[in-house]
Amino acid sequence: MSDIRLSLTGIVKSYAAVKAIRHADFELRPGQVHALVGENGAGKSTLIKIISGAVTPDAGDITYDGQPVTITSTVDAIDLGIATVYQEPQLFAELTVAENIFLGREIVKRGRVDWAAQNERVVGLLDTLDLPSELATVTVGNLSVATQQQVSIAKALAGKPGVLILDEPSAILTDAEIDVLFRVIRKLADEGVAVIYISHRLDELIKIADQVTVMRDGSTIGTYPIGELSVRRMAELMVGEALSHERSPRAVPDGPPMLELKSLARVGHFADVSLQLRAGEILGLYGLIGSGVAEIAECIHGLASASGGEILLQGKTIAPRTPRHAGEAGIALLPANRKTEGMFSFQSIAFNISVGHLPRLSFGRAFVDRRKEHAVAKDLMKRLAVKAPDENYAIGNLSGGNAQKVMLARQLVERPKLLLLAEPTQGVDIGAKEEIHRIIADLAANGTAVLIVTSDLQEALRITDRLLVVRAGTITAEFGPDARQVDVLAAAAGDAGQAGPAA
Amino acid sequence: MSITVDPNAAPTAPPVRGRGRVLPAPVTPAEMVLILVLVVLWAALAFATPAFLSAGSIIPLLVEVAPVALIGIGMTFVIIAGGIDVSVGGAIMVCSVVTAKLMRDQGLPLVLCVVVAIATGAVLGLMNGLLIAYGRVHAIIITFGTANVFLFIGLQIFASQPVSGMPSTLAWFGRGVDGQTLGVPHSFAITVLLAAAAWWYLRHTAGGRHFLGIGGDAVAARLAGIRVQRRVLLTYVITGVLIGLASIFTLAKGTSSLDQSVGNGQELAVIAAVVIGGTSIMGGRGSVLGTLLGALLVQTVKSGVTQLGWPSQLSDLFVGIFIVLAVGTDLLRQRARRAV
Repeated sequence: MSDIRLSLTGIVKSYAAVKAIRHADFELRPGQVHALVGENGAGKSTLIKIISGAVTPDAGDITYDGQPVTITSTVDAIDLGIATVYQEPQLFAELTVAENIFLGREIVKRGRVDWAAQNERVVGLLDTLDLPSELATVTVGNLSVATQQQVSIAKALAGKPGVLILDEPSAILTDAEIDVLFRVIRKLADEGVAVIYISHRLDELIKIADQVTVMRDGSTIGTYPIGELSVRRMAELMVGEALSHERSPRAVPDGPPMLELKSLARVGHFADVSLQLRAGEILGLYGLIGSGVAEIAECIHGLASASGGEILLQGKTIAPRTPRHAGEAGIALLPANRKTEGMFSFQSIAFNISVGHLPRLSFGRAFVDRRKEHAVAKDLMKRLAVKAPDENYAIGNLSGGNAQKVMLARQLVERPKLLLLAEPTQGVDIGAKEEIHRIIADLAANGTAVLIVTSDLQEALRITDRLLVVRAGTITAEFGPDARQVDVLAAAAGDAGQAGPAA
Repeated sequence: MSITVDPNAAPTAPPVRGRGRVLPAPVTPAEMVLILVLVVLWAALAFATPAFLSAGSIIPLLVEVAPVALIGIGMTFVIIAGGIDVSVGGAIMVCSVVTAKLMRDQGLPLVLCVVVAIATGAVLGLMNGLLIAYGRVHAIIITFGTANVFLFIGLQIFASQPVSGMPSTLAWFGRGVDGQTLGVPHSFAITVLLAAAAWWYLRHTAGGRHFLGIGGDAVAARLAGIRVQRRVLLTYVITGVLIGLASIFTLAKGTSSLDQSVGNGQELAVIAAVVIGGTSIMGGRGSVLGTLLGALLVQTVKSGVTQLGWPSQLSDLFVGIFIVLAVGTDLLRQRARRAV
């Protein structure tokens, strides 16, 4: 069947013990915009990596224009005519736009790069994307991220691809830029290019996609013409049968708010964010990548400064400028990426817990009191059930779950009033996840106000007392503990008709 | 500074460029500054010590510059592609002592000397390159290790005494009358020719541009279909070959004996020339012309300090200031960009 540009059948891929893809079938036709959707961890990105040659599948068949092919490297994929625009622009900051577009496939005349010919092609490509031709000679490092994204697309088009993969291209673009992008995608599809479009924003798929393939838990569960789908239906397919989860009933405390945000804003990230969080309450913030949810937590912890609005802690306005200020005010943050933002991998557990609190654990605030340091570490290890031989053990040798508990322990040394948790159980196995949830619940029960920023929807629904959905830079819906996953997902992904039941 | 493109806005007076001029200007602003500094320095020195511009002063200066600038060409490739090589000094020692002993004991003729030196350098460069490109360990660690290994090998070959009584086989590369044509030392002329070729290669061939891409973002380069490991390996082999040839220059400019201090500290002189020449220590940007100018500047300062009768430590101070200025400018530029 030459009518099919690319087909994948029975694809399987495991990383060590983790099955990233259990079974995937995928068919792509020329002239079609084919969307791929699924929750985080459903296997979308692994499937894209297989098509673009970044990883090799363990099993399964791939055909291109009816011919069986094996794709073992990105070069193979490029040679076949498969071009990929990655989520993060893969560009060279020191080179001009024209050079970026042609690096790796230069037009060479008598051993020399033919700059004039390249420039001419680039101007044509820029024109297709509604970009001014002067851009060709601008150094990429001087461009905004959005423009860099568009340059990446131009780069992908330079190879005259038969298949164009766009991985979350709209996450960093403004609405006007997205309109241009969609016009370009439509034009390419009309010219016979097969487009694979990945996006978390289900509402835009209605506008651009012809077909939608849904992935869940490492398997493709079906391909549907867009006409048969609504945002809500897509969300249902992504989530599947809602898992019944038990949660121990928690008494939501009364009292004045511990943390209050009044119309907090940061230009370019979020605006008009207001919320109240009481002592002993667990509040969740859920939003997709690019929704601004991560930046809200950063502002509260002083990693970024707000451009408007107020942060009130126990009724007093605070303006934390640095994490140190925030810490002195009683705010602790568990960062999302413990490997790069938290752990000192070669150091002991005790070091990792006490760091940042050393003045408290020292004689005369100068000489570290080893005994006290180790006592505190031991105590917290016991309370959080960290599984390790002793407190001198290097944190780098611990499992993800235990390392995360140590990171959490660090935040608890000074009994914070407000604990911010970013993706608290990312890369943590199920058992440890349960324990971390229990610890969080205990902390709240002892009067700590907990704000959780997570992209793990199940987790958000499971442990929070209230869940706020952040979309396009502001809070758009609030859900109580009995909300259904599909409702929350639909709200976050932009189902206009969806208003969450207030708790 | 950020340029945001609004598709609806009218194009704001673009700089009108000639067709085909899609590359940055052949001489970058930083290089213009270097040229200016050199001209000013030379003028000032000529004024202060009239002997400075005489042949007796300029020729030794050019002979001293040649090996540093020559290795600097290779080092420019290495640093642009995101690496570094601190084993230059040790490699020079191995190449020159091997060549010196064969020349003295076996009576090797000129051409074979050059072949031996280059082959030795290529093998040492290949060692570095293989370990860095395929062993995936950071270049500074690998070359720091090999630097010590090379030093050991070199000293073993020396067998704790200088190589003395060398014949004048290499006079054609030397600082004497045989080593120059129309007042230009052959070693310097060769260096300029090779630098010109390397400059052109880096600017105008696909292979040269790939070095810039790899140093800019190795992952993106791989995704663009560039064979990153092979290209990285190549930068170290090129450097090795040039170290071999530079060892010949070093042997030729000396007396009839070679002692164990040969090559000592040369890696720093070479890296200084590259960095002062405007090549970004982070990789991804740089030019061979800058390196040539950087090497000239360093040697001019040294020579000037000597001729003025100032204490020689001052030249180190000045070179240090130039390095800080060059690196500082580069970092400021990158920070301004990140602040977007």
